[in-house]
Amino acid sequence: MKTNDHRIGVYICWCGTNISGMVDVEALSQSIGQLPDVAVSRDYKYACSDPGQQLIIDDIHEYRLTNVVVASCSPRIHEITFRRAIENAGLNPYMLEMANIREQVSWVHSDRDEATRKAGALIKAAINRVRYHEPLEKRYVDINPTTLVIGAGISGMTAALEIADAGKKVYLVEKADKPGGLVAQLDLTYPHFDSAQELVLSKIKRVNDHPNIDLFLNSTITEISGFIGNFSTHLRLDGQEGQELKFGNIIVATGLRPIDAGIIENYNYRNIPDVITSLEFEKMLLEGNISTEEGKTPKHVAIIHCAGSRNSRYHEYCSRTCCMVALKFIHQIRSILPQTNIYDLYTDMRSFGKGCEALYTRTNNNTMFLMFDKDDLPQIKTANPGDDCSILIEMNEKLSGRSVEIPADMVILMVGMEGQTDAKDIARAVGISLCGSNFFIEKHPKLDPVATTTDGVFIAGACQGPKDIPDSIAQASAAAARVLSTISAGKVQVESITASVNEDICCGCQTCISVCPYSAISFDEEKSVSVVNELICKGCGTCGSTCPTGAIRSRHYTDEQILSQISGLIETANTM
Amino acid sequence: MDFKPTIVAFLCNWCAYTGADLAGTSRMKYTANVRIVRIMCSGRIDPTFIMKALRQGADGVLLCGCHPGDCHYHEGNYKCLRRYHLLQRYFRQMGIEKERLRLEWVSASEGSLFVDIVNEMSDVIAQLGPSKLKQEIETTV
Repeated sequence: MKTNDHRIGVYICWCGTNISGMVDVEALSQSIGQLPDVAVSRDYKYACSDPGQQLIIDDIHEYRLTNVVVASCSPRIHEITFRRAIENAGLNPYMLEMANIREQVSWVHSDRDEATRKAGALIKAAINRVRYHEPLEKRYVDINPTTLVIGAGISGMTAALEIADAGKKVYLVEKADKPGGLVAQLDLTYPHFDSAQELVLSKIKRVNDHPNIDLFLNSTITEISGFIGNFSTHLRLDGQEGQELKFGNIIVATGLRPIDAGIIENYNYRNIPDVITSLEFEKMLLEGNISTEEGKTPKHVAIIHCAGSRNSRYHEYCSRTCCMVALKFIHQIRSILPQTNIYDLYTDMRSFGKGCEALYTRTNNNTMFLMFDKDDLPQIKTANPGDDCSILIEMNEKLSGRSVEIPADMVILMVGMEGQTDAKDIARAVGISLCGSNFFIEKHPKLDPVATTTDGVFIAGACQGPKDIPDSIAQASAAAARVLSTISAGKVQVESITASVNEDICCGCQTCISVCPYSAISFDEEKSVSVVNELICKGCGTCGSTCPTGAIRSRHYTDEQILSQISGLIETANTM
Repeated sequence: MDFKPTIVAFLCNWCAYTGADLAGTSRMKYTANVRIVRIMCSGRIDPTFIMKALRQGADGVLLCGCHPGDCHYHEGNYKCLRRYHLLQRYFRQMGIEKERLRLEWVSASEGSLFVDIVNEMSDVIAQLGPSKLKQEIETTV
């Protein structure tokens, strides 16, 4: 309910120069300070910093503020920070409203006057809205201590083991007939040439032996119901409906896959048998036999980087591990076949990561490095009869500026990586989103690369983007730690934003019941009114916009709040 | 005359609003005359919000939700789609140009799509000129 007794504090953040460079924050804070109900209006260098939060807390006490507006970055980043701050000062956390004047103003506009005017409109809209805010009660749900891990590659096994070692149950679901994932297909790792097999087999053994891990092979997940703390699913085993599982958190660790090298026309992968992919070469290394299709030892081996990566026709991103794998191949070929000529055709040599630059500097053992432009791919073709090789590679060498022809008996394509083909199905089943190329999108690229926008669902390893083994393991451990922290707390706070019914004006039409995606609304026959089960309601607000009498209120997104916000936006658009 | 229309955009929290934030993080540029309202789900967009924006003087209203099948709440975007079609019929009866209401699906990773939509919509409405609705309402009241 709107009362006439509002004392609103407004805090306009500079965010260093991120906002203040494009928005006149000082002028805004002065003019906003003149508005009715605004008890104090300030601009501050970094509102999210400790002194920034303290300033708000002190003002709440000194000015007996009833509501707070923070104009700064996106609420998706710091809404929780400021809610906690005002709660520390004794206000209900929902008495806050934020105006997004960084991501949606200063970073996207280039005219200072326009940006300042728009920021002013957003702040006035927030002031209008916050007058209608109501205190909401905190809600908690109990956490089922069992965790579902999807994918039993190096990341999924790592996460599962960390959680299982902490004494908690894990369901580890793998669609293949054995665990291990992509790492199980590798021979040695870079930069220290440790055995990938040793690495992965020791983890598989521990997973198999662990009393707290149930491993399900040949199994997939098609639909998951519930929400953080209480999810459930029916496993699909070999396509048949299997056992029902119940769990409180989910870690998605489905990894990645190599692109189909056949799509790169220049490389003739489908037509020339001795043009192979890096994973096919790993298989040769594992079998200890580097030989051509005809069973001969290659006299010339060419390695081509960025196959399907960093090119607008295929994937525009760098697949991150291929350069170092190519250098590893050079060392392995050199030690197994000392007489073979090695040609390394690269676009840029990317050797970041611990120990990787050292691997690069020690890889010059009689290898010819040739550079090509990433938009001017070499052409692979069958050699002419009588040539001393079976394959020829034509390329424009970038450093010398010359067109050259490279002889080869075997060409290894360092294929780029992409998310799994069924990533979209997984995303839908667990309720998360994909960015390009079938990789899952994280909650925040910097501040929260492990969580997703769905509470209780975390991502680990290369399903989030191309990663090497150490980074995958680090993210898997991080995801496990996040899960363990919710299990250890035993319950987790969830959004207090739910729907509620005003029984006095509910006409009993039950339209809300028909639109609720969670079946959270039932009908009380005796009173002839709808009743919301707040434990099930997720606060989408669809019922609120459907109710013909306005009996259902979507808490924190009420009609009054949104309508007053709209009038704030437009009023200022025309008058300021 | 250089008419800059005012556009009010309703963006769902999970896909479109996050996509608009991504446009910011990526420092993409778009026209400053769009004002964003965040709601949890496009299914929350009540037709009265749209009419309120137009009545207040908005020249266009943009609705953005998750792509079909990707809704954080399963199917709120379909509810939004149905209301959009009904509103378009209502708009026709009211004599409001259909270009003034636009529905688009924008995922959390489609910052550049959001930028393109906003810029294009702004151009289209600039061609139409100011909405007469606000003026008419003011004179009849």
